[in-house]
Amino acid sequence: MLDIKNLMVFFENALALNDLSMMVNEGEIVGVIGSNSAGKTTLMNTVSGLIIDMKIKEQRKGGERITVYGQITFQGEDITDVKPNDRVKKGIVLSRERHPIFPESDVMENLKIAGHMKKMSELREMTEYVFQLFPALFDLKKRRAGFLSGGEQQMLAIGMALIVKPVLLLLDEPLLGLSPHLQSALVKAIKNLRSESGITILITEQFARPVLPIIDRGYVIENGMLTLTGTGAELMENPEIKAAYFGI
Amino acid sequence: MLLGTLIYGFVNSIILALVALGFSLTFGISGVANFAYGALYILAGFLSWLLFNSVGLPYILAAPFSVLLTAIAGALMYRFVLLRIRGMVLSEVIATFGIGLSTLELFKYLGFIGFEYTLPVFIDYSIDIGQVTIDMQRIFIVVIGIALAVFLWFFTHYTKTGLRFRGIAQDERTALSLGINSDRVGTLSVSFGAAYAAIAAIVILPLGTITVDHGYEVLINALAVCIVGGLGSTGGVVIASFLLGYAQTFTATYIESHWVMVVPLVAILAILVIKPSGLYGEQKELEERI
Repeated sequence: MLDIKNLMVFFENALALNDLSMMVNEGEIVGVIGSNSAGKTTLMNTVSGLIIDMKIKEQRKGGERITVYGQITFQGEDITDVKPNDRVKKGIVLSRERHPIFPESDVMENLKIAGHMKKMSELREMTEYVFQLFPALFDLKKRRAGFLSGGEQQMLAIGMALIVKPVLLLLDEPLLGLSPHLQSALVKAIKNLRSESGITILITEQFARPVLPIIDRGYVIENGMLTLTGTGAELMENPEIKAAYFGI
Repeated sequence: MLLGTLIYGFVNSIILALVALGFSLTFGISGVANFAYGALYILAGFLSWLLFNSVGLPYILAAPFSVLLTAIAGALMYRFVLLRIRGMVLSEVIATFGIGLSTLELFKYLGFIGFEYTLPVFIDYSIDIGQVTIDMQRIFIVVIGIALAVFLWFFTHYTKTGLRFRGIAQDERTALSLGINSDRVGTLSVSFGAAYAAIAAIVILPLGTITVDHGYEVLINALAVCIVGGLGSTGGVVIASFLLGYAQTFTATYIESHWVMVVPLVAILAILVIKPSGLYGEQKELEERI
């Protein structure tokens, strides 16, 4: 479904992604595991197209030069140069890292803004689904999103991405800043999401332990380069992963 | 006497709110401080004058048509100038101020000076409230001012385009990742602001003549109201309009009318010293509390 070939991303002369190739099949949950500055967010921004917008803005300012080489294919179509809002229409929706929400709006309005392309009836249906997936949000409907806790904001952020009805959902470090208890709750919700709605999910994370059990396949990246790949179970058993991420 | 001051102060407050709404709308959504605002206001005035007097359209058509043309002018300004310098605040200010200045001075150069440049009032009639006589045009200003403020609130909270506005206003990148087209929203925001300026012009200008200098005055008033109220906050705009509106009217009545122009400038200075983000600086509100 998603096919990334020889992707290279430069910020000025710094190489953020180095000759990265990977693919995501329909219905899979694929994980990208890596430490800080491994290139996870750059990968997500490139797949969602945000990097095109960043590039244009930097160019206008005369700031950092961003260069992207390689090819991204989505459902057989080359989307390397497609603008972010058109990628959303094709079904690629990104939930950015650090709980991106609209802080001044209440929870309900956040969901409404996310559903700006949807019909009223569809929006209502999807909102109900989000509340069913994250019951905690239902009681906070009227609370301003800026006053929610980190975990609640993360649930809202994922909920907002779901409202758009993605074909491919990109989750950038969804577990960042959450307590272990919330982490496992969220991981369970992500698993349910796939089994209930059949969405394909690409997830990046530095916390390998909670994520590895639910992914079908995983890629490990370091310094923008692919170092390891395998099924979730294979990666769990890998001695290097154990040493680097589990501390065993 | 006091009743008259209170009533005319109320009308003056609504005038300020009308003038500031469009400026605040544009800034609140796309962060563009549109310093061509006064020029757009005067442009709308002269356009409807030209359409009415030179082209010969009936006024009921000339007025909305000039609002439309001004909105298009705003959109073009964004597409061809502002888009290239988005995100660089100082460049945006210089560019819009330059456009505004050249538009206004062009009108002056073309000879749009004189007492014949007036817009007709909607209905030539006046009513008495107690012992105070007030003309219908000022009643219209109050009604339309309130209607536009209420419309703006409903628009930004309950329509799809309005929700996109609110999304972009709060976090552009998140809005982008949800499929909101930031360039389109930016164009619309400047265009909407220009339309609000045009509507304000058509309602307010019949009270006097259309002069180029009035354009600068409008810009200063809009700026003062927005800075005092807090940039981008509609509630703040309304409250600041009443503060400044009554301050101006009381100054005119009890001190001397030529001090009126000083009021907005003093207000800007005072608020920058006391509370720089304005009375209701929505953008800062959360950060200050957390």
